[in-house]
Amino acid sequence: MSGAQPQLDAIAVGTTATRVVSGHSRIPWRFLGSRAAFYLFTLWAAITINFFLPRMMKGDAVSQYLARNRNVTPEAADALRALLGLDTDKSLVEQYLDYWAHLLRGDLGVSLLHGLRPVTEVISQALPWTVGLVGFATIVSFAIGTIGGGIIGWRRGSKLDVFVPITTFLGTIPYFWLGLLAIAAFSVNLRWFPIGKAYGVGMRPEWTFEFIGQVIHHGTLPAVTIVIASLGGWMLGMRNMMLTVLDEDYITVAQAKGLPNRRVLWGYAARNAVLPQIQSFALSIGFIVGGTIVMEMVFSYPGIGKLLLDATNAKDYALMQGVFLVITISVLVANVLADFAYAFLDPRTRQTEA
Amino acid sequence: MKLKKSVIAVGAIVALSTMVLAGCSPSTDSGSTSGAALTIAKPDGAITTESHNPFLGDSSASKYGYAKVIFEPLALVNPTGDLGTTPWLAESVEWNDDYTELTVVPRSGVKWSDGTAFTGDDIVFTFDMYLSGKLSDTSGLKYEGATVEGDAITLKFADSKYTAQSRVLHTPIVPKHIWENIADPNTDPLTDEGLAVGTGPYVLDNWSTESVTLKANEDYWGGELAVPELHYVSYGDNAALTTALVSGDADWAQAFIPQIENSYLAADENNHFLASPTAGAGTLFMNLQTKPFNNPALREALAWTIDREAYVDIAREGASEAVWNVTGLGALLEDEILPEYKDQNYAVDVDKAKQILTDAGYTWKDDALIDPDGEAVSFSISVPAGWSDWNTEQALIAEELDEALGIEVKVDQPDWGGWDAARQEGTFQAIIHWLEDTGNAYGLYTSTMDPKWIVDDKAQFNFGRFNDPAVTAALNTYANASSDEERQAASAVLQKAFAENVPAIPLGAHPLLGEYNTRNYVGFPTESDQYASADPTQPGIVQILTKLKPAK
Repeated sequence: MSGAQPQLDAIAVGTTATRVVSGHSRIPWRFLGSRAAFYLFTLWAAITINFFLPRMMKGDAVSQYLARNRNVTPEAADALRALLGLDTDKSLVEQYLDYWAHLLRGDLGVSLLHGLRPVTEVISQALPWTVGLVGFATIVSFAIGTIGGGIIGWRRGSKLDVFVPITTFLGTIPYFWLGLLAIAAFSVNLRWFPIGKAYGVGMRPEWTFEFIGQVIHHGTLPAVTIVIASLGGWMLGMRNMMLTVLDEDYITVAQAKGLPNRRVLWGYAARNAVLPQIQSFALSIGFIVGGTIVMEMVFSYPGIGKLLLDATNAKDYALMQGVFLVITISVLVANVLADFAYAFLDPRTRQTEA
Repeated sequence: MKLKKSVIAVGAIVALSTMVLAGCSPSTDSGSTSGAALTIAKPDGAITTESHNPFLGDSSASKYGYAKVIFEPLALVNPTGDLGTTPWLAESVEWNDDYTELTVVPRSGVKWSDGTAFTGDDIVFTFDMYLSGKLSDTSGLKYEGATVEGDAITLKFADSKYTAQSRVLHTPIVPKHIWENIADPNTDPLTDEGLAVGTGPYVLDNWSTESVTLKANEDYWGGELAVPELHYVSYGDNAALTTALVSGDADWAQAFIPQIENSYLAADENNHFLASPTAGAGTLFMNLQTKPFNNPALREALAWTIDREAYVDIAREGASEAVWNVTGLGALLEDEILPEYKDQNYAVDVDKAKQILTDAGYTWKDDALIDPDGEAVSFSISVPAGWSDWNTEQALIAEELDEALGIEVKVDQPDWGGWDAARQEGTFQAIIHWLEDTGNAYGLYTSTMDPKWIVDDKAQFNFGRFNDPAVTAALNTYANASSDEERQAASAVLQKAFAENVPAIPLGAHPLLGEYNTRNYVGFPTESDQYASADPTQPGIVQILTKLKPAK
């Protein structure tokens, strides 16, 4: 009853658990250090591959520019090379060092494909739309899928089970087809939603209710179709993990102790079943930032995916590297966060320290 | 029970919010008094980076094409119809005999959209930017300076511009009082206040990542404009663009729409489609340096076998014009064809093709064509994957040649990079490619027979690497001639060389496409009145916009 900490004799108590618990409350430096080193190495490797990979592709930027712009005469190829900054005959190693020097100063170069504007500007125009729409849709899908999967797993054998094949089926429909169907039904025939784009023609982006309303109105169909297409995976994964976890002894014990169902479901079963979901979620962050190119094309939505595809086709190295860099960094950050979430949810991970 | 209720609640919220959103959708139909806006659409995906620079091919102004309604050229050269020249910002344009000097008289009474008067100084200043090197000479103008005499300005060029008239005349003229303060005219985005100033019929009103709005220039020299507002938008791909055209979200576009009859024209009687043939053509280039195409007999046999009508009707779905003449020149350039070749047209004539092959020592074994060395004739034809019209033509050619002559044709669809490398380095066997369009016969012959395109062993044209000094000399004469007689004599050499050697096989004229509707406005170019092409990205758009009238 007293607040004083009793001096426990391990042998008398019959366990050393108290000492181990207090050990965990220390900051696990070795664990953090090894993770940090690992992530730094990954970052270096990714950036290096990012530099070399585009340069191994066939074709060059100038002939692409000529093919796109027939009003430019091929005789002007040299003038063009100078204009696009491709007239240097630096060796690959020199280019690589330059690349790092620029990168550390936050200079990603200029994009050949976008009127020679800085890559940072090009990406910053497209990224918010991708993160906003795809990120929102992925979180919604993850939340609905995980919670729904938890409930369906808990009430296995009930009528709710029917959601699993339905959502899985919807997930197997090719996305472009789903998108075109949605446009045909809700935009062309019912005229509930616009046929694409992020907001209306002639609108100015500003913080007004009209503009925000337009963005929501335009974003609904793409967001809903993404949720529909991706829900199945989350739901199935969570349900299956729930079924495994529900067979564990500690669930039986918790129920035998007479804990309320809700507490057993969320505090005991779901908390353990959600761990693999978190790992998949961290992986899917890469897809969020990489954009869903098909969605962008079907719904004429601005975003990173089409940017990357066009940059690849046009051999726009600077833009390609910029986009890959953003994707790489966000995947790494997401993995760091997932590591933390794991450590929080599952104390066993921290025991690498011991 | 609780869980079920919350599921229902979530469902209800979603359904409700959907309905609310649908209900409160703002009616975007701008019910303005002076007429509806015209929406010009492209299928290039979102264009999210702002740059109004008219000299830069990949600025948003060039990608959408709205640079053409802000900045105007000296004259408009019609790429189709009569191929004529209409003076525009100049009251008159006149070339000297050998096309090395252009004399223009600037139009009087023209104002820049910021109110400053337009003068000849602006023209001289624009071209002098090339001279000083501030502006990269990406059009290969080789401009050498201007002299002013009274009203008339004479622009001098290092070589004849006969084959590049439109490159000179279509140079966008920019205001000196603004551009003299721009440090790098090549790349400046002109996004600061008051920089995107031109003489054109429309002025920039609003730029966003989703659309660009331009308003009619009230002081436009060309008179009052019927259309008060232009919107430029870009859709994700052709399918999305087609949906927008059909639903009326977009009014005017230039896109290849498959099955256009069903998917677009049938949707509304006001929907129109115009394909204007140009002097360029989709052309089958063969590698003349290696087997099997180093034998002219085989090339000639192919010319007698490949069905150009099938190219037009099936591959291009009617949006082209077949090229049958042995000189390779299409109907648009008929006037240039020599009298002796006027009636010499290829046709699908398999017997004739077989006769030519037999005479050259070819034989057949089990229906397969065997060349004089005893090897079976086979080649691959290459077009980048996704160029759907030419991908279809590949299949057609493969089928035609296999059935008629017993040649095995492999259909190859690499990515752009692989295709590009092969055409430049000459490692292909056959490709379909476009021609340089010079508005006259020179375009075809320089693209197929001129060694000047091969620099550092890399070809920009003449991919088959044809090289005959007499032909090269004739090409130079044609380009630099100071009289029509001289040019005709050179043209005769070229036509003869082309007919005899068959260095390439033009299939059908390259068209400029335009889809537009006449719900709100009439006066667009039509089949019978092709004063310009209906392609809204061409310089001729200013002419069309001044001709539009409200529909009754």
